[in-house]
Amino acid sequence: MNFNRSCREVTRLVLESEERELPLADRLALQIHWRICEGCTKFRGQAKLMREAMARWRGYRDSDEPPQS
Amino acid sequence: MSDFARQVETLRPQLLRYARSQLRNDAWAEDAVSEALLAALEKPQSFAGQSQLKTWLVGILKHKVVDQLRRHSREATILSDDDDTDIDELLFAADGHWREAPQAWGSPEQTLNQRQFFEALDVCVERLPPAQGRVFMMREWLELGTEEICKELGITSTNLWVLLHRARLRLRDCLQQGWFAGRPVS
Repeated sequence: MNFNRSCREVTRLVLESEERELPLADRLALQIHWRICEGCTKFRGQAKLMREAMARWRGYRDSDEPPQS
Repeated sequence: MSDFARQVETLRPQLLRYARSQLRNDAWAEDAVSEALLAALEKPQSFAGQSQLKTWLVGILKHKVVDQLRRHSREATILSDDDDTDIDELLFAADGHWREAPQAWGSPEQTLNQRQFFEALDVCVERLPPAQGRVFMMREWLELGTEEICKELGITSTNLWVLLHRARLRLRDCLQQGWFAGRPVS
């Protein structure tokens, strides 16, 4: 199996993982890529922050609660 | 006008903004809000008061917004020209490497405790191109499943995937420029 993925492909997979569970080979490829690529590791952190932000954004919009509550 | 009716009316501008940001069409948004307000005023007894008035109204509005999306599904899926820009081409070189490597955004906690961040996020969501904005909001605000979105809009899962992918990359770009750039992160 080939676990080489470009940053572009890795980015696509990271975003796709929000919609469905990735196949084992893709998950492995991501882990390998993150070990050697600083940019994609940072993108992973950005995607995580955005995911958490969207959940709180709903609360911020849909009620008058401050986002942290 | 009763107190209840006045309170409901006070929330109208905000509801209209939410409906617009989802539907991307002023006339449909007006209809959705009018239907939601009518439902609320016709059945005030269903507001039990245990939740906030706004939370209750937004809950009703979401149903009316889905009705509008259903009613206009054909028109809603026209992919306008601005959706054709492939953001991947802007972010990645031909060899698949980042043109500009992503920056660290710091700890989510620090960012997500700031109310202004959510105002910035709101602005970025509003700026998404219409088709991307619609599917992104259906997913993140209406919390519809991917199958349901495809069914409502009559698009394939590949179409949906591309739209969500582009929306999220654009959002990230907007947050980088509008919020994180020049902000020291720990």
